[in-house]
Amino acid sequence: MKRRIFSVMLAVVFVLIMLTGCGNTAADKSPSAQPANNQGNASGDKTTNAAEPVTITYGLWDSNQAVGFEKMAEEFMQANPDIKIEIQLNGWSDYWTALDAAATAGTLPDTFWMHSNNFYRYASNDMMMTLDNYIASSDKIDLGNYPEGLVTLYNFNGKQYCIPKDFDTIGLWYNKTMFDEAGLAYPDETWTWDDLYEAAKKLTKPDGSQYGFLAALHNQEGFYNFIYQNGGTVITPDKKSGYDDPKTIEAMEYYVKFVKEGLSPQIFGDSERAPAMENGLCAMGFFGSWNLSGFAASDYMSKNFDVTVLPASPSGGRASIYNGLGYAIAPNTKNADAAWRWVEYLASKEGQLRQAELGIAISAYKGTADAWVESNKTFNIKCFIDMLDYAVIRPYSNTTAAWEDKTYEALRGAFTGEKTVEQACRDAAAVMNEVLAQE
Amino acid sequence: MIDPGEAIMVRQLKPKLPHHYTKYSYVYAAYQEGLKQMKNHLSKARMSEWFWGWLLIAPTTIGLIILNIIPAIQTFYLSFFKSGDFGRGNIFVGLENYKKLVHDPQVWGAVRNTLLYTLLVVPIGVFISAVLAVLLNRNLKGQGIYRSIYYIPVVSTPAAVTMVWRWLYNYHYGLINYILKQLGLNPVNWIDDPKVALISIAIVSIWSSIGYNMVLILAGLQEIPKVYYEASNIDGANAVTQFFRIILPMISPTLFFVVTTSVIQCMQVFDVVYMMIDVARPSYDRTVSLVYLFYNNSFKYLNKGYGSAIVMLLLLVISIITVIQVKLQKKWVNYTS
Repeated sequence: MKRRIFSVMLAVVFVLIMLTGCGNTAADKSPSAQPANNQGNASGDKTTNAAEPVTITYGLWDSNQAVGFEKMAEEFMQANPDIKIEIQLNGWSDYWTALDAAATAGTLPDTFWMHSNNFYRYASNDMMMTLDNYIASSDKIDLGNYPEGLVTLYNFNGKQYCIPKDFDTIGLWYNKTMFDEAGLAYPDETWTWDDLYEAAKKLTKPDGSQYGFLAALHNQEGFYNFIYQNGGTVITPDKKSGYDDPKTIEAMEYYVKFVKEGLSPQIFGDSERAPAMENGLCAMGFFGSWNLSGFAASDYMSKNFDVTVLPASPSGGRASIYNGLGYAIAPNTKNADAAWRWVEYLASKEGQLRQAELGIAISAYKGTADAWVESNKTFNIKCFIDMLDYAVIRPYSNTTAAWEDKTYEALRGAFTGEKTVEQACRDAAAVMNEVLAQE
Repeated sequence: MIDPGEAIMVRQLKPKLPHHYTKYSYVYAAYQEGLKQMKNHLSKARMSEWFWGWLLIAPTTIGLIILNIIPAIQTFYLSFFKSGDFGRGNIFVGLENYKKLVHDPQVWGAVRNTLLYTLLVVPIGVFISAVLAVLLNRNLKGQGIYRSIYYIPVVSTPAAVTMVWRWLYNYHYGLINYILKQLGLNPVNWIDDPKVALISIAIVSIWSSIGYNMVLILAGLQEIPKVYYEASNIDGANAVTQFFRIILPMISPTLFFVVTTSVIQCMQVFDVVYMMIDVARPSYDRTVSLVYLFYNNSFKYLNKGYGSAIVMLLLLVISIITVIQVKLQKKWVNYTS
């Protein structure tokens, strides 16, 4: 008898489970059905022959900029209801891994960002569409409106593969509150390395709670700037390493001195550099213009920080590492015309102005950079544009990604004190030349 | 493919065949004859048994072939090439990648790191899981809650788990160093110090794997019949004797499974090291694992041929260890119950 009661109860439970199961699926279905109906109505209202909008994927790697582009994509979709923009965001490192796999498999995003580090590889393998025909027939795009350095950067064998998106330079960010506390004048365009060093000394607290300067093991937002200010080089025109150049070694000695003398914390992880500023660990640091939206979002940064041009070398040498991204289209995209319309919008004066206004990045289109300066009143960001006069393009070759990592491995010994700076630079030159020889 | 049933049939057919056949043609003819007869003789039940047998293992077999075996063969093939961009223009270089591998100190460093990591994680991890399983096998109040708590790290994404740990370990403002400072101790550079970093990584791995191993061992423990304990109680055995004489032999097959799979998993460690240690960090040479090195070479430096050679080395190391484990199992694993 007991057993029978048990089996009846079991049956009841099963039936209940099945009923709730059905209930859930029914509930799931209705909300998803709703928007589909709405969409159908909306497109039916606008155009009589309601066609499904074509989806254009847009690959990028910067989560700060993605916020602004979501807004721009929305505006674009409102004006162009036949196109749907789908943003595909990956972190910097994963972006290139995923893009490489996608290129191999023939499934590249319809439109995507390109970087000088990888341009040669994608262009020489025809992994981007040549845009010359589109540019010639467009009334919105004229390559004369972009900085010449960036246009030639994205030109390969006389064919244009990308249209410049933006440019970036590196600035000296400093903590005003810490300068006030130490009774020091804020850095300005008269500063040289010696001023930087003296100020760092005064801003460093002996208990390790505050450092004067952030000399992290980082190239673009670190020692590259010192190397070029000092007249050194990272890669020679005939594709040899410049790390054994005496001028390069001298600049590296100077940079590492901050760490050796305890004026900078030992920081190696890329993800730890910005928090070192945002948590008040360092009073000064080199950071690129693309950090603007991230820094502006931090209360501590907006309250305490400002930015100015990089200090000059003792002999007056000036430089700031400069780079620019490009817009590319997949060579095998199914909707080439729609993809072009999106890229054309992004690169046109209108799109470039919008990008600048939203503070996404310094637009490459001539005359639109001022809108970027206007986008943010918290920091004196005009300095990033002033530095364009003497900016040096980020060193690159066909195998940049490989030798940048290998040189990091060789150089970090100098920062930990395992080897002398000169030895580290010679090691870096050796591994870099080894990689370059295989290009 | 010779089926035992087939072989028997061939043997049974022997007397009927003419004797002037040579040895080989005799066997062949017998085989042919056997096949012909088999079609008549095989019962329908037998055929349907075969059909269902193959059908039932088909999903696993097909998955294994497509997802594991074919890629493994392709990787082996690729390890003899200098890979071109985007999978085009691979150049055959023979053993060049393997020659380079033998002389690459970073590869041997990675072998050492991987083995050291395994030696840290497996014994400590399995020991802690076993102790927890024994504790949770008793009739505790809130047993289910404890079991869930220990299992949560297993369900969490390794990348997310590592992100959290990376902040806990942060030298300047990490929680762990903060506590150390409050206790008047010196802060430890958990991630950048080459001597400490591997231990830090091992801690994260142990923390995130004990739950899984614990559940397996718990299942093994619950298989042990109650009468064994009762009988040993009457014989006057204490808890320690019970553990070594009853529990350990009874769960040894589970333990063997746990140890073997943990070793293989540890040898393939990637995510924790990748998330925690950038190439620029001073601890990189002391923590880079074989899979991380493979990833960097294949996908960052885009030298897939060399990356494949590194993976073949890993395969060799894992195979050797697994063979040794299977041989050793006879000494300590008890399959009779």
